[in-house]
Amino acid sequence: MDPTKTGPIALAEQRLRWTEARQRVLAQNIANADTPNYRPSDMQPFAKVLSGKLTERPMVATNANHLQGTRQQDGRTLKERLSATRDPSGNAVSLEREALRVADTDSAHATALSVRRRYISMFMTALGRNQA
Amino acid sequence: MELDRAIRIAAAGMDVQTSRLRVVAENLANRDTTSETAGGDPFRRKTVTFANRFNRALGANIVGVARVGTSKGDFPTRHDPTHPAANADGYVKTPNVNSTIEVMDMREAQRSYSANLSVLEVSRGMLTRTIEALR
Repeated sequence: MDPTKTGPIALAEQRLRWTEARQRVLAQNIANADTPNYRPSDMQPFAKVLSGKLTERPMVATNANHLQGTRQQDGRTLKERLSATRDPSGNAVSLEREALRVADTDSAHATALSVRRRYISMFMTALGRNQA
Repeated sequence: MELDRAIRIAAAGMDVQTSRLRVVAENLANRDTTSETAGGDPFRRKTVTFANRFNRALGANIVGVARVGTSKGDFPTRHDPTHPAANADGYVKTPNVNSTIEVMDMREAQRSYSANLSVLEVSRGMLTRTIEALR
């Protein structure tokens, strides 16, 4: 049995991947805090990703002349609905909201990482090694 | 890798804010630049716009400077017949730079720059933690 394929370790790793992807999306939003007509996006909530209800339809190249799709990564992101806080330039990024999300993502990442370390060290103990 | 991309995106964000600051500096420095010829146009305020574009090397969208344009605003005039740039009626055209607007722009650029810097620091922290998990 590979302990990293099932249970808490796999879950923690999935969560880590999700937080890393979210961090990229949030970096995108903040970098575009002054880009005209930019609409921020966010990841689909992790619970929704876990439940497997998301239907990901990657672009399929049916012809040799088709370009490789660039949206594979963004399959799970979600454009935000237009909020009332829009600049005259049409930009809808709120730096405060994004900063809060970055902080959330950071702590979620730390949590997932320590969960993973704990479980790995549990297996290490079972194997007779004192430290992971 | 996603975190690596997040860092590059934040760095691009800092880069465009720096360009914006450079344009603000240029505008403020030329606050009093009038024409050299009589009746000519003085310095015209420069504007900068950003756009989010796909970067093939990175495989993600990064922000960049879309265009450095000029402001269409009218030039305020001042009556000064002895000025070398004065027209036949004795009026001098002065640049359409408004210091208050430029300072506001500068503040906003500074704020956005700090936000990008924080993203960079947090992403780097996440990356370091992940690497430490290997130990």
